[in-house]
Order: sequence, then C-alpha cells, then structure tokens
Amino acid sequence: MESIAEEEPIGASMALPPAEPSQAADDERKLAERARAGDAEAFGELFERHRQKAKGLAQRLTGDVHMADDVVQEALIRAFLHLGTLADTSRLLPWFYRIVRNQANMKLRRGGPYRKERPFNSLAAPVGREAAAADWEDLDSILSHLAGRASQEAALSRDPAELLLRKETFETIHALLHCLSSKEKGIFKAYFFRQLRPEEIAGMYGMTTGSIYTYIHRSRQKLRQEHIRASLGLIPEARRGVGMGNGKLLELAAGMGEQPRLFTLAGSLGRILAANGEPRSGAELMGDSGMAFRMSISEKTTFSDGLYIFDWQASIQELMAGYGYETAFCCGQLAGSPVPLLGAVESFPVVLPIEEAVLPFIRSRIDAGMPVLYFDTQASRPFVHEWSVIHGYDEDRRIVHVTDPVLPEGKTLPYEDVAGNPIRFLAAFSRKGCSGTAGRKAGNSEAEGRKAKSRFFQALRNGIHFANEGSQYRPRTSYLSYAAGLAAYEAWIRHLADCDTAPNRYGMGQLATAYAEAKRYAAAYLRTAPLRGEDMRMALLASEAYEQAALALEELSLRVPFVKTAEVMPPSLRDGCIPLLRKAKRFESAAVGYMELALKLQIEERGVEDEQA
Amino acid sequence: MSKLRFMSEFTNLKRIMEAKESFERLHPEVEVVIEQSADHFESLSACRSDEAPDIVESGGWALFNREGMFVDLNPFVEQSGMEADLYTGPLAIARHNGTLPGLPVDMSVPLLVFNKEMFDKAGLPYPEDDWTWERFVEAAKKLTIRGEDGVAVQFGFGIGVDIEWYEPFVFRNGGSYLSPDGRTARGYADSPATIEAMQKIIDAYRVHGIIRKPKEPSSAGQLHEGFAMIFGFMWFAGGLIHHGIDHRRFGLARLPRLAEGRDGNMIYMGGAGITGKCPQPGLAWDFLRHYLIDSPSWPLPLSRSQAEERGLHEHRIWSRYLEELQHAQPSGFYLNEKWNSSRQLINEDIERMIVGGADVAKMLRSWTRYA
Repeated sequence: MESIAEEEPIGASMALPPAEPSQAADDERKLAERARAGDAEAFGELFERHRQKAKGLAQRLTGDVHMADDVVQEALIRAFLHLGTLADTSRLLPWFYRIVRNQANMKLRRGGPYRKERPFNSLAAPVGREAAAADWEDLDSILSHLAGRASQEAALSRDPAELLLRKETFETIHALLHCLSSKEKGIFKAYFFRQLRPEEIAGMYGMTTGSIYTYIHRSRQKLRQEHIRASLGLIPEARRGVGMGNGKLLELAAGMGEQPRLFTLAGSLGRILAANGEPRSGAELMGDSGMAFRMSISEKTTFSDGLYIFDWQASIQELMAGYGYETAFCCGQLAGSPVPLLGAVESFPVVLPIEEAVLPFIRSRIDAGMPVLYFDTQASRPFVHEWSVIHGYDEDRRIVHVTDPVLPEGKTLPYEDVAGNPIRFLAAFSRKGCSGTAGRKAGNSEAEGRKAKSRFFQALRNGIHFANEGSQYRPRTSYLSYAAGLAAYEAWIRHLADCDTAPNRYGMGQLATAYAEAKRYAAAYLRTAPLRGEDMRMALLASEAYEQAALALEELSLRVPFVKTAEVMPPSLRDGCIPLLRKAKRFESAAVGYMELALKLQIEERGVEDEQA
Repeated sequence: MSKLRFMSEFTNLKRIMEAKESFERLHPEVEVVIEQSADHFESLSACRSDEAPDIVESGGWALFNREGMFVDLNPFVEQSGMEADLYTGPLAIARHNGTLPGLPVDMSVPLLVFNKEMFDKAGLPYPEDDWTWERFVEAAKKLTIRGEDGVAVQFGFGIGVDIEWYEPFVFRNGGSYLSPDGRTARGYADSPATIEAMQKIIDAYRVHGIIRKPKEPSSAGQLHEGFAMIFGFMWFAGGLIHHGIDHRRFGLARLPRLAEGRDGNMIYMGGAGITGKCPQPGLAWDFLRHYLIDSPSWPLPLSRSQAEERGLHEHRIWSRYLEELQHAQPSGFYLNEKWNSSRQLINEDIERMIVGGADVAKMLRSWTRYA
C-alpha cells in the first residue's frame, strides 16, 4: 500500500467496485491493451496462451522443431518492441502470427536449419573452412565467427574486404555493449575480443569456469536482443555511433480565442485540435467536456488532487469522439516511484521504464503530423503535474518537444524522462474513417449545428447531474474519497472549519484558481447556448450566476494564491475563506436551478414539436 | 538560531504542533518549521530538491524503501538505549531492509470487531482469540439474516474486497504472497497454503454467503449497523469511539486461525525519518524522539512506556490493538513495489473469483506475474 488512511471512515471498507465481465475474449482484449501500453507481464501472459499454437505454426513452416523455437522467440521480441505502434488491439493476434510467418520465411531464406545461423550454445570454437563464413547481419553468426578465430585467419590473409567487415563488426558490437553490466562487458570482451579461454577469464575474475560460461551465455542473449532492436531501428542513432539527424517538430497553432490556463487537459486538447486545423474555443472545450461544471474535493483536506480524479480515458475518448476523432492510449504506472493521483491511475498496469514502449507511439503520430497528449509530471511550478502536448522529437538529441503551462515557448524532455515518468499517459487522435490528419471536412452547417446542439444538451444534463449527484467515478482505493458537485463546497468548508486538521494551503490555492476558471467557462458556455426565447433567458441567468460564483472564487484565490508553498495556513486566513465559499455555492446552486429550468423547457418544446410533427 | 524543517503528509497536525511548541520551549535556540506535503510524490520531489526538509513524516512506507534517502536510525536507537521499550513487531517490519530508515507512525492492525447484541440475539457465544476458521464460518452463517427476497438485512462478516486485507488469513494458514525477501511470488502466491486460504475466503462469499459480494443488494446498512463481525482496523474502532457508537456494544477478538500455530497479522503504518540531506541529524533525532517517544503521540504509540503512561494497556479497545502489534508480519506491499502498485489489478482478479467464479488456484498461479 502506497499510503494509508489517517482515519478510515466507517463503512468505507464496504465501498464495492463495479462488476467485471468474464469473457475470455474480453480478458484477451484487456491484456492486449495493457501489453500495448508497455506492460511486459500482460504481454507475457497473453502470448503464453498462444505460444504453443505459434510454435506449431513455425514448426509447420520450417519443418524443424529447434528452429521453430527460435522463430517464436524472435517473433515475440519483435512483437513486443512494435506493439506500441499497433493501432487496433483486436488485430493483435493475427498480426503476431504474421510476424511468426515472416520470421520463419526469413530463416528459410537464410538456408534452413543451421546453414548459416549456428546454434551458439556450446561455445566450442568452430574449425575449418566453414568457420570462415559469417552472416554479418546475424549476431549469432558474428559471434561464432569471432569465437572461431576465423577473423584472425582473415586478418592474416590481409583480405581488405574481410578486414573492413571485421572493423565494422567490432564497432557495431562495441556500440551494442551498453546493454551489458560492467562485469558482463569485461568478460565478454575478454572472451570475444581478447580471445582468452574461459579458464583464463575465470582466473582473472576469481570465478568458476562454469560461471564464465553462464556470463558469456547471458551476455550473448542480451546482445542478440539488442542487435535485433538496433536492426529494427529502435536504438537511437547517437547511441549506435552514427549521426543521422532525424526527428520532426510540428508547429503548434494558437487555439481559438482564450484557452483554459488551469484546466490543461482542455487547453492541450484545444492545441491538438488547432494543430489539425479544427480550432475550438476554450468555452466549447470546457463545456462539451463537462470540465466547466465539475468540482471535486478530497474528503481528507484541500489537496488539489480532486481536480484530476475522473476516468481519464473515458472522458477524453467521449469528448474527442464527439468531435469526430478516434483515440488511442498508451498508459501505465511505474513501480518503484511514488505515483501521484493514485485515485485516477490506480488501475493502470505496471509498466517498465523502457523507451521502446513509449517512443514508437510518439514518433508514429508526430510523423503523421498529429501532436500527442501527454501527462507531464515535471510541469513547471506552481503546477506539479499537468496535461501537455508533445509536438516534436529529435532522435539525435534524444528529446521530445512539449508544452508547459508556465512556459509559453515550451520545453524539451529527455527520452529517459518520458519513459521514466511514474504516470505513463499518452493519447493520440485520428479522424474517424481516415488515417491521416486531414482537418475537419467542410460538412453541411445544418448537420454541424444539430451536433453542436446535441452536445450542448448532453453537457447540460451531465452538468446538472454532476452538481446534484456527484461523480460516477469512484476510486477503488479504500482510503481515497472525494466530495463532488455542490457537495464539494460543503467538504471544502468543513476542511476549513475543522480545528483538528490543517487545510493544505498549496492545494487550496490551486483549487480556488482552477475552479474560478471553470465557473468562468461555464458562464461563457451558457452564453453561447443554441437556444431561443425563454430557454435562452434561463441559460443567460445561469450564466450570470456562474459569473458570480467565479467572482467569489477569484476573491478566494486572491486570499490564498496559487503559489508553490509548503506553509501551513493560519487560522485567521481560514475563517475569512468560508463566507466566500458559501457565496459561491449559493450562486452555483442558483445556476444549476436555471439550467434545470432551461432543460425542462427544452424538453417540453420538443414534446410539442414532436406532437405537431 | 537553528532551524528544523519537518514535512508531514498527514492532515492532522495537532500532535506535531504540540511537539513543536514543547520542543522549542526546551530548546529556545531551535525553531521547528512544520510543512505540508500532499503525497509521496510531493515528498520525494522535496527531498530531491536543493531545499530538502530535515524530517519527513509519510503516510506509507514506500519512501522509506528508497535506498539512501533517509538516515539509518539504528545507531540513534542504540545510543539512546530505548530498544527494549519499543514494540518489536512494527520495528522489525521497519527494519526489513536491514537499516531503520524511519520510526513507525500511525500504526494500525486489524482485529475481529463483533457486535455483542447480535450474538446475544442469536444465542451464540462471543468470538474468542483461538477461534478456528470453521467455527468462525459456522457462527457467521447463523448471523447472516436474509429477507424473503434473499436480500441480507444482516451479514455475518464485513470485509471489503482487497488483497491486502486477506493477507492475515493467508498468514494464518501458513502461506504468504511473496518470498521473505519480496523478490518473487512464484512458489508463494501459488503455494498450496496460500491457495487454500484464498479458496476459503472466496467460499465465504460464494458458498456460505456470509460476506457481501461486490454490488450485492443489501439492507444491512453501514459496517457498524448490520454486520455481526467486522474486519476492523484500529481506525474503525477509533471511529466507533469518536462518534459515540461504541457504548460497549462491540467486543474484540483476534482474527480466526486457519492452521494450527499460525497467528501472524498484517499492519499498516507510516513513518517519520531524517532525510539524508539533513545537516544536523543529531538535532533532528532529538526532535523525532521528543515527538514520537517522549510526548503523547499517535493513538498507538511505538513506545511501551508511553502506552503505559497514557493508560492504554488498561483500555478495553486500545490494549487489544497494542497487543496485536507483536504479531505483525511484513506484508507483500512492503516487500515489493510491483506487487504494491498492482493492488487494484489484483483486486479486479479477486472480483472475478467472487462474482464470476474464476478458478482460485489458476488465478493465484497467474499472480506470480505481479512480483
């Protein structure tokens, strides 16, 4: 358990999570999604189920049981390394079998079992003419060749071609050696480059000869995998020692009008849409997504985490689907690093901090001209972690270009920081029915208008429901609970009034500023309501009430500004905040009342229209 | 004037504020500055920064597993001669990596909290410390009352779906989730003793119907209302007292035992430790000792003499929880971060067993991937 409850509320342990579907197909789909997000365990489990079948296929294709093992092994490595680029997880297994077929065909083209690719398990030095021939694209063959002293013979023969190949091979292997530990590296070099006997190396390291064999075997396996990664282009050129200068940087267009500053999810999605030629206003994004109407506060105190506790994937998917986009996610959490916002990410799979699980996802989208949504846990202060946009990458410098809520010019993050982010959350978007990045098609404005109206009423319904009933999303972690909707004001006031607990000042500063912004956008969204007559009057009254709620919260944010601080809030400051929260609640309650009336009138009007029709 | 910066993840700062005031009275040349942190992530960021706090008090143990981040307190404990005064159960867990990176705070162990009125009404004897699982299940069956529609108005046992809360029963069957060094679940999560314990727990839901299943309709109300026996941490019992619900209506016993001679239990605890960047570890230790050992501190203190002074050994409820501290064993979440982070994924698997009837042995074999 990461952290524990100070006081567990009675009955909290009986909070029961939703039921789970039991179909095997659904299980596999989930495993595939986790695997795509870089979860090695999910990948292992999924393919363990299909290993025998894959081996059977490989055996049929190669006619050799040992080669079939190799084929499956290599297919697994390739599949894992490329999984992040697979858009549709339902195609994962057919895709995997295709890789098995390709691998088998590749082996057969090389001449069948043991023609050139020698099984390198005995470490016995090959002899004779056969040993002089090496497949320079295959690491096993290279190692066999080196171990067999064949290159020595070639050097003696002064064959320039052989010498050149040998030089390149040594350079390649040197470049790959970074995957080994220092001890493995030393033993590997002693055996292959200095060509010492295992017994001699054992003496040097004070180890048994058997251990040396084990080290060499393990190093060979690591290098083999690294070689495959390199040949697949998965190792940055800089590391391979070859300057290639590749990467891509997308220009980010400004969004339409003023964009949310505190609600970086809406702001980032706005930038992505604008980059794709479909700018939307901040009010539209905040309203359509429901963010303008949502308010959640931790039941513990005024921590700011309530701002982030909702179903990230469902919310993003739903909003972007409404705009005609499909969403692909790459998500997970790292073990061994404290993860913020546990309530939102608690069910993300545990993933490894490996670049290959993240960067193909980024590269493929940027190459296609589409920026990627990224959850940045290194946001500039006073922010702690925020949504941002990755809009470029540079292979030579091994960095991505990313937006930051405090830095208008953006910033760069090293690949290793992206892979090592304790929360892995990336989302990429593509227009439904088209793989490229073509902007919004000029559809007929009447249909667009109908869609916008439908989105508005959905947002209104959701906003009213959220205000009165709270959030449908509840973390499974028993000690995390949040008050949501109008009830959040009560929780907030309670935190300030409770003499036993200290409200979190830093968190409160962010809550006040962010929710003031949200209420402003709620007001703006309601002003643009696609309504007429009395319905519109109600919407405008709701808008005005939200403006007043925003004013009260802005005043609060002046008293408790959003600045990085660890200071404890003094009691005198706490008392002055409570009336402002009460005022904001009164106005928001009124706003919700007007929204309900607007919706009711609209439903009645529709009923009349339907009757007339 | 020396300054000590104390960062806490807890929201109740009353105890630490009082300790600060009394320490500053004793040491007028020292100022203790209390700072807040929202979670481990923020605490870690603070410790990595150029302005690291001197002491961090965290709600969990994950930070204290980070090598080199905190000063080893073993020499301080040794020099102060307080070892014999400290409860050994939590201390042993705090030392599971060899060093003592922090002193345990906010310790809580689970006991069987039972509603005496419900037992009296059913004419059943109260649970005892040596109850077997079978005896417990039989009583819980008699204490589960369902209406004509099958909806329970009273459940025999109340416990949520959580891999961590089932661990005491696994311990008490001679099993464990992980190897003692936490490196693997293979041979442990899938061992016969662990599988058998988990099967018994799942049967309690599916076969005996004594525990409320996820999403099962219920008229039993809250835990303190319609549950005859409750898996109750110290926090739960504290809640009963705080809200004036106790009135001696509830009794306490140890959790039932599944195998002879096995009586291990789990523990939740946070810690307070001196950061590696602290320039005055001696002074920081003086304050830590003043706060946790010499002054009245957490509901369950680490020091026996403090418990004695506060009369906790005579308290009907607290004495039982203090006694149970001795049986605490290191849970999987202390030993392996991957296991810890997979908690909710594992809980989803547990629901599959309870609701969907997934095979227990097969499921536990698959859990070897979580460590």
